[in-house]
This record gives sequence, C-alpha cells and structure tokens, in this order.
Amino acid sequence: MKVAIAGKGGAGKTTIAGTLARVIAELGQRVVAIDDDSNPNLALTVGVDRNAAATLDGIPRDMLVERTDADGTSRLVLAVPAEDFIDRYGVPVRERLTLLVMGGPNHGGSG
Amino acid sequence: MRGVVGGLVEGASRSTIVDLEAGLEHLSRGTARHVETLLIVGEPYFKSLETASRSFALAKELGIGQIRMVANKVRTPRDEDTMREYAARHGLPIATVVPYDDAVVAADERGVALIEYGPSAPSVAAIRRLAEDLLTSGGAPEAPASR
Repeated sequence: MKVAIAGKGGAGKTTIAGTLARVIAELGQRVVAIDDDSNPNLALTVGVDRNAAATLDGIPRDMLVERTDADGTSRLVLAVPAEDFIDRYGVPVRERLTLLVMGGPNHGGSG
Repeated sequence: MRGVVGGLVEGASRSTIVDLEAGLEHLSRGTARHVETLLIVGEPYFKSLETASRSFALAKELGIGQIRMVANKVRTPRDEDTMREYAARHGLPIATVVPYDDAVVAADERGVALIEYGPSAPSVAAIRRLAEDLLTSGGAPEAPASR
C-alpha cells in the first residue's frame, strides 16, 4: 500500500497519518511512515520520542546522487536501494513499523 | 530531499504512508507517480473544503490514481451532510468519516500518540476501518457518492 496524506495545517493530517501507520502495522503489514512535512510532527503520532527521530538533514552524500532532469533542474535521488536506506536511517517504532523523518524547510539542497 | 521521497515510495517493498507538506504545492511529480492513494484530510467548514477541492484538482493533474477525502472532526449529522454534499458536488469520494474526538485533543495535550492514549477512541476506530478498507480494496470509497 502506497498512501500519501495531505491537508491544511490543523486539519488532522498528521494524527491520521501516524495512527493509520500504527494500525496497518498492527494488521500485520510492514510499513514505513515518512514525515515529509517541513514542520515534522509525525514522530509523536506514531508514538516515538521526537528526539529519537532525528531528521535526515545530515545524511551522507554517498547515499544520494544528483540527477539532472530534461528541463535542466537537478535533484537528489537515492543512490542505494530504498529498503537499505529505510533500514539504515529509519527509527524502529513498533514491530513492523519504521519512521523516517525527511527534514526541515527546503528539505536540504534540492534546489 | 525532494526526489528521495519518490524513490522511497517507489522502491520500498513494505507499505509506505507519507505525511506530506501542508498543501500540495510541494508535491513532486516523482512522488505523486508512485503514490497509489492520496488521502486529503478535510474539516466540515467551507474554507477547509475549498482547500481540499484545490488539492483534489492538483492531485488529479499530477495523475495520482485514487484520491479520497477523509472527512475529519465531524461533530454532527449536519457536518457530515455538509461534507458529503460538497464532496459529491466536486466528484471527490469520501474514504471515511472520522468523528470529532476529545481523545485527539487530550493525547495532543499530553504529548502522547492518539492510539496509545485512546486505543478504542471513536477516531481510532474510524481510522481502523479506513486501514481495513485500504488493505482490502486499495482505498475504494465507502459508499457511492449520491445526489
């Protein structure tokens, strides 16, 4: 299942995302909850200490590779398989549930 | 890190739940391409619904397959009617209705996860139903939009 959750600030987006991730893990699926909000709060709603869930801002550059699109914009993409990346940088929350916090404003150097 | 989220969603062999930036302006085509279901969380008042329908239009443009609204913080049957009527008028299917729930506020005040504060709270029960729907049907709407 590949789900993304959107909503205005305060609408309850993060509460629903975090609770949904927990429930899906309880139902027996392996799941990674990815916090892509520049004001990351997902840690709390999945039930892990915020300080335990450091952001990926300081990720080593050899994990990422710069790719230039046809329109000339460049962006960073994964240089390693996604599962390896999740295992390495994800925070274990519960059985089958891992949290990844992408980072603060601008998500670090993509443009 | 923009391209990274899309790569994670694409490459992960496990389920992925992405909590996006508020508003969809920053959602990249790369991420959108690999997302099967987008849930747009809306509240039962006009401005929130307007925002939801803007996100809906943008998400359609980005080519996301299934787009559903989560009708959140619903206090009264009238709230629910308002949301269903608005959603039907805009062709936006409702995935689930989550009742307004004091447990959400209380969990937030205490700084604990909702599911730990109130594992059987009504809001959690609604999210459980949503999860089951997503697992069985990939997120089909709970009922055909009427009206």
